[in-house]
Amino acid sequence: MSNVSRRKFLAGGLAGGAAVMLAPAKKALAAGSFTGFPDGMGVLVDLTRCVGCRSCEAACNKEQNLPAPELPFDDLSVFDQTFHHGTQKRRPTEDAYTVVNRYEPENLDKPVYRKIQCNHCNEPSCLTSCFVNAYTKTPEGAVIYNSKVCVGCRTCMVACPFHIPAYSYSKVLDPIVKKCIFCYDSRVKHGKPPACVEICPAQALTFGKRKDLLKIAKMRIKKAPDKYQPEIYGENQVGGTGWLYLSEAPFEQVGFDTTLQKEPIIDNVKGFLGMVPMVLAIWPALFTGFHLLATKHKDHGHDDSHVEEEEQ
Amino acid sequence: MKELIEHGIKPLDGAKKRDGRKWNLMEKLFLGLPLDQYVGQVLRNKFNWLLGIIFAVGIPLIIYRFIFGLGSVTHSSYDYPWGLFLGFGLFCMVPLSASGFMLGTTVEIFGRHDFEPIERLALLNGLLGYLFAVVYLLVDLGQPWRLSYPMIYAWGPAAVLFLVGWHVAVYLSVQVAEVSVSFFEWIGWPNAKKFIRKGTIGLTVSGIILSTLHQGALGALFTYAPGKVHPLWYSAEFQWIHFFTSSIPGGLCMVIAVSTIVIKTMAWRCDDRFKDNLNQLTLKLAKGAAMGLITYLVIKLIAVAHDNEWVYLATGWGTWYLVEMLLGVILPLILFAYSIRHKLVSVARVGAFLTIFGIVLNRLNTALITFNWKLYQEIPHVFEVIISITIFAIYIAVYRFILNRLPILYAWKAQTSEVPVTAEVPVSAQEQEQEYPARA
Amino acid sequence: MFVASSLNLRGVFLLLISLLLAVNSYAMDAPETVQINALANYYEPVEFDHQLHVDVSGDCSVCHHHTTGTGTTDLYCSKCHGQFEEMVTVSCADCHSAEPFSAESIHRQSQQDLFHVDMNGLMGAYHQNCLGCHQEMDGPTGCQECHARTEAGDKLYHSGEFAPKAPESAASH
Repeated sequence: MSNVSRRKFLAGGLAGGAAVMLAPAKKALAAGSFTGFPDGMGVLVDLTRCVGCRSCEAACNKEQNLPAPELPFDDLSVFDQTFHHGTQKRRPTEDAYTVVNRYEPENLDKPVYRKIQCNHCNEPSCLTSCFVNAYTKTPEGAVIYNSKVCVGCRTCMVACPFHIPAYSYSKVLDPIVKKCIFCYDSRVKHGKPPACVEICPAQALTFGKRKDLLKIAKMRIKKAPDKYQPEIYGENQVGGTGWLYLSEAPFEQVGFDTTLQKEPIIDNVKGFLGMVPMVLAIWPALFTGFHLLATKHKDHGHDDSHVEEEEQ
Repeated sequence: MKELIEHGIKPLDGAKKRDGRKWNLMEKLFLGLPLDQYVGQVLRNKFNWLLGIIFAVGIPLIIYRFIFGLGSVTHSSYDYPWGLFLGFGLFCMVPLSASGFMLGTTVEIFGRHDFEPIERLALLNGLLGYLFAVVYLLVDLGQPWRLSYPMIYAWGPAAVLFLVGWHVAVYLSVQVAEVSVSFFEWIGWPNAKKFIRKGTIGLTVSGIILSTLHQGALGALFTYAPGKVHPLWYSAEFQWIHFFTSSIPGGLCMVIAVSTIVIKTMAWRCDDRFKDNLNQLTLKLAKGAAMGLITYLVIKLIAVAHDNEWVYLATGWGTWYLVEMLLGVILPLILFAYSIRHKLVSVARVGAFLTIFGIVLNRLNTALITFNWKLYQEIPHVFEVIISITIFAIYIAVYRFILNRLPILYAWKAQTSEVPVTAEVPVSAQEQEQEYPARA
Repeated sequence: MFVASSLNLRGVFLLLISLLLAVNSYAMDAPETVQINALANYYEPVEFDHQLHVDVSGDCSVCHHHTTGTGTTDLYCSKCHGQFEEMVTVSCADCHSAEPFSAESIHRQSQQDLFHVDMNGLMGAYHQNCLGCHQEMDGPTGCQECHARTEAGDKLYHSGEFAPKAPESAASH
């Protein structure tokens, strides 16, 4: 390397650095955590209003062109179904994006009904874990899924803290993930409420902007503190979810997981992912250094570097 | 094969026959034996009968899986999306295949050429382990024909699995290159071999980088599901370190284990250099494994302390955790220490097999057994078990096929009576050549 | 008020069905029919016996909040609506929108300086108002006890003649 080129390199480097510094500074990107798109929609589920009529299940089935169910949607005997030796109630499946379950918490004389579906988290775990970017959190708040790129690794099913994504294992040629998509394509994208919200007779479901729903929920709690738990489920769980819940009974008695972390799941892998480029950058010099230190003056011992290859 | 050797027939171990003519590819594939002798020794081998039974049952099942879908052969469910194919095939086989980068680093980076006799075996072990991990993955994926999507079509770079996919793909190429040296010797392409050897240091360093990251990444995968893995097996901060650290004794002990099997079942294929050095190499590997194990034990205890999980040790799961640590870590440590002190190779070998068992158990615990520990337990479908065993049998068959032929356990002789290709071996006097069987 | 049998009254109510939608009626015995867009498809209109409920409740504000001039028993409402004046808006549909999630309604939810932001839609108001009392007082609580399902409704619920025929094996769980 001649001195000239080294000088040129340094000069060019300094010039480039100066140019970068003098360029108009980009507006600092928002620091801190993502708390959802500002106009992202959500749904407030008030469990004190749900009467377990299952109209939402019927509406979802129609809106999403799901297969016919085994039992009619007005058949309430499904609330008695249990699975896995009585340990599990119904859950969303590849043919049913939402289900309603009945719970009988202590100290309440009436049963409580809970609607289960994708909670459309602010920082979805499924989206974080997908290596083909099949999930998208839309500005309207829906977490949607692109079946055209899905490879079927099912990491999203491992990652979802609510155990929501179902997989069409029965299909051979195009098994895909099946979950509530907030009626994005047909409704929410156009500002209309999802099918389940529209049909709910008791308006247990309230559609609106998530930030407004939080205020409404807090107002309901304030106006009737005996009627509600002082917490909105989904306000803080795993970074906040688009679907929020109010309940009279303690949440763990009506099937909610109250042990979830407050931080979004992506926070769990940030440390490791941040370390990756460090290893990529440091290991080469580190191990080349080891090599030079360990083998200085030592014969490499291979035939090929020092000995002519035998003629075959 | 042993029978044939007793009758004085020598397997092919060099480029040229006694009369100076080169072996051709077909003859190389048949180990220099005439077809009837070759087939005869295949059929006489009782292990092949076992493989035959496994294939007869398992291969139709694999075809069945691809016709009728995953739901027909697994209990994979919405709550338990991963079963044995990933739980065993991927999560267990990958740490055991860490031998490639371990021995590659030892020999090429640190210059410890005393490990050279076993280096190629370790590299092959690494390559085949990863290759078959990918086979298991292809059987498990919902749409395996889309395997290349995260490479070329749809990128989700924030996902840990993205890293795993890319690294495994690149690392497989690195390992193919490293093993290709033996292949080029065998097939007789010396220029290709020279070309690869030039990049050895670069390949080895790439191997270390990639291995560190993806061994750790497999652990980081479970941090997506913090509540689902039992706290004793889960650590938010250290999961990836646990997986990476345990892969080190995993790889080393796998080399010990495979070399044990090899020396007991196919000693005829091993040359003197391998046979003479194996015992002391085993003890040296045991030393490395012991250091890896004690480190692993300490960081597991640190993780329990860090999250204050001591109270879990008193539960049923806690007992299971202690069993895993005892059988898989502490007992092998004791055995290794004893064997190194008293130079007892067989004790070290027992320790190695126990370590492998411990690592397999740890991965199965994390991925399957304690996964969803708050929910019902899921038992794999019997078809899943059979298919897993079948793919593992295919792995063994391929492993053996390559070991029988390529110069992994023996040094390739460029000429019949010449010094073998690697320079380490003390030059022996003129080889006592046996009569080659008459050519057909 | 003329004395008439309930049968006669029912007949009068049905005649006045169409008027109700267009005209705000202050008559105490105004008939009501539910005609909500979403559910009208799936259920027949409700034949609501208003007089019966007048007799049973004894107090208009039980259903009509603070709009009928009889005062209100709700402490929260009475802070602003303590007066005993009939209001312009009395019937349910006057305040409770038939489309509670239209763009305007959602926009209204954002106006936190307005009161009555968290207002039920018409369908929700009916069901919440009715079901609570019905449950306590052994009134009809099943869906079809108040309004029969239409054929479209049977189709939606996969019920009646649209019920699944042969039981299939349970989907894998």
